Amino acid sequence: MPDTQALVMTFLTSLKNATARQTAELLRSVISQQRVPYTNQAGALIDAVKAVGEQLIAANPVELAVGNIVRRVLHIIREEDLSLTTAAIGELNLSAVSDDENDDDRDGNTTLSAAAVAAAARSTLRPPSLQTLLEDTPVSAAVPQTSSSGGDSEGKTADKSSRSRKLKHDVIEAVNELIQDIVTCHEQIAEQAVEHIHQNEVILTLGSSRTVSEFLFAAKEKKRSFRVFVAEGAPRYQGHLLAKELVARGLQTTLITDSAVFAMISRVNMVIVGAHAVMANGGVIAPVGMNLVALAAQKHAVPFVVLAGSHKLCPLYPHNPEVLLNELRSPSELLDFGEFSDCMDFGSGSGSPLLHVVNPAFDYVPPKLVSLFITDAGGHNPSYMYRLIADYYSADDLVVQRRAIAGN
Amino acid sequence: MQFDDQGRVNKSKKRAVFNQPEAKNRVELFRHLPQYEHGSQLTDLESKFLELDSMHPAVYKVGVQYLAGDVTGGNARCIAMLRAFQEVINDYSTPPGKTLVRDLTAKISSYVSFLIECRPLSMSMGNAIRFQKSRIAKLPLTLSETEAKAALCNDIDRFINEKIILADKVIVRHAATKVRDGDVLLTYGSSCVVEMILLYAHELGKQFRVVVVDSRPKHEGQALLRRLLAKGLSCTYTHINAVSYIMHEVTRVFLGASSVLSNGTTYSRVGTACVAMVAHAFRVPVLICCEAYKFHERVQLDSICSNELGDSNDIARVPGRPDVNSMDNRTNEKNLQFLNLMYDATPSEYVSMIITDYGMIPPTSVPVIVREYRREYLLI
Repeated sequence: MPDTQALVMTFLTSLKNATARQTAELLRSVISQQRVPYTNQAGALIDAVKAVGEQLIAANPVELAVGNIVRRVLHIIREEDLSLTTAAIGELNLSAVSDDENDDDRDGNTTLSAAAVAAAARSTLRPPSLQTLLEDTPVSAAVPQTSSSGGDSEGKTADKSSRSRKLKHDVIEAVNELIQDIVTCHEQIAEQAVEHIHQNEVILTLGSSRTVSEFLFAAKEKKRSFRVFVAEGAPRYQGHLLAKELVARGLQTTLITDSAVFAMISRVNMVIVGAHAVMANGGVIAPVGMNLVALAAQKHAVPFVVLAGSHKLCPLYPHNPEVLLNELRSPSELLDFGEFSDCMDFGSGSGSPLLHVVNPAFDYVPPKLVSLFITDAGGHNPSYMYRLIADYYSADDLVVQRRAIAGN
Repeated sequence: MQFDDQGRVNKSKKRAVFNQPEAKNRVELFRHLPQYEHGSQLTDLESKFLELDSMHPAVYKVGVQYLAGDVTGGNARCIAMLRAFQEVINDYSTPPGKTLVRDLTAKISSYVSFLIECRPLSMSMGNAIRFQKSRIAKLPLTLSETEAKAALCNDIDRFINEKIILADKVIVRHAATKVRDGDVLLTYGSSCVVEMILLYAHELGKQFRVVVVDSRPKHEGQALLRRLLAKGLSCTYTHINAVSYIMHEVTRVFLGASSVLSNGTTYSRVGTACVAMVAHAFRVPVLICCEAYKFHERVQLDSICSNELGDSNDIARVPGRPDVNSMDNRTNEKNLQFLNLMYDATPSEYVSMIITDYGMIPPTSVPVIVREYRREYLLI
């Protein structure tokens, strides 16, 4: 455990640039280093992940991708556990059928006895019910010693340890798949570029997003001719970097200021942007200025397309997102402190400064302004995004908090 | 002038007073507008000072001020130009064999084309020039030269006084009635009329806050911010991308205009349309403050058919950001263009009310004012 704690601490200090992939890798090492007891392995893993996840989310709640990955991993653990148990029950049914014929063959078989399966079923995660809450005693003591032979009980313990190893192994494999998905989401989204970009198009984008640039490069590879207007995206000015990349690939690019977006959008065919996070109602948390572009696009009936990998889909519904899911950055990006130092005085009688500078980092775009989401799982309407949550997350994990263990 | 017509461009180049190299990387969509390289123009013009015999020094001074950007804003540019014309008229003497009317009109036209070279005319300046020429044309032939000159200078004084200075006072008085205690007023960029309104309302003792929204590349809002803070107003400063964030606190939006066109479209600093659109989405009333002499009978649907293009280097270079500025040597790259629009057109449905010296009118009444009060350019 001390190793994981050190890993978590270094991760937290670098959380400003944390990506989903790093979170997944961290959780993978937490899982692999976690010792699991013989029974209720999934519960132990989930507790360990929740403990770490709680710290990660609390460190930077605005970085929603971290919370998403924690919840994805928890969902993976539950699913793997469930599939292992159903597989075991399936085997048991088979062995019950063959019981009459091969009574002696059971020694050395890896099938589990009925009692052991019942114990295993109790130990897997079930939705909290009165029965499970009252049954908090460790399950290993409750496993009835059946009138089985010695060979059977040996088989049991051997089976349980192999089952626990199998669970961890399966979970780590699934987390590896998740990491692979995160890394390759750009390619999968870019494959859909040709369906949406035709010839002689004019595309508008704001700021810089790697998904968007890969998307446009893919369309260029397939010989579609189009021009791009890039809005610079003050105060980070990422649009300049995107324009550089696009020009290096041979695309006709024009860089405009954010104030010129309304003026130019009447000549644009499509707006393609990336997102910081996609909320469960289909709303988008995006770099500041995106709401302006979305409103202008709606006024001119220009499709507003958002590209987002599925790891950006957050199961939370946004409440007052401009304030709660936003980050206010330093005023020095807008005003030079040296020039305005005389105005920062705590001047008036009430003692509060006359000048406030507001520099939000994110913007919320409501779902009615978004025409289409393109994810690595295909294109979707904003009203469909809530269904994707059921694929990736479990309802138990929406609030990542360790439940207090009774009788501690 | 149509800039995509090569013949006309060549003709105007021959008449030009100073050299203006065209920009290498021109945006296709704006080929009908002039796009120049801005680096060498000022030094070129300054070096020509002693060669320009036919240019009156006052007009030359105003031209240099426009080119350098020292004088900005519709009212300021118009007043500077008219004062220069006053000096021209005062120093004018009719050459033998010519009539005052024709000769003076020709001289004024040549000065106007010089000013256009320095910086394209704003609509307010265009209206003022038309007024000036009509007054010259209407001079009774019986007047002697001194009397004619005195009458013309008098007309210019009256124009400036009535159409600009007094009009601003009337606008300020009307608009101050729209400011209540506890209001949060948002303004974009720097408009002299809006500044006057805010300061006057503050003097009246109304309690309100101001939000100043600013944008690249000119950061005009910073000058306004400094002046408001000096007078003790409580201000919030932000950039145009954050308008959606701040708009839920705002109760009124006051914007200035370079001109209001006959279909109700407001032609003003680029970014005004974005602010008005967001205000409309949040159901915040938008009030445009504009003197009536800036109204124009032209109509315009979008910001592309007629606009002014500024220096593309202002876009390429971000002051204080060396990581982004490595783009600087790229202005000559074939595929990359920078677009620096100066104006944009705000549709009339985003504007709740226009405050002019003729009163507070809806955007649909602008052609009425243009028609009724412009007949014979009456000085009413």
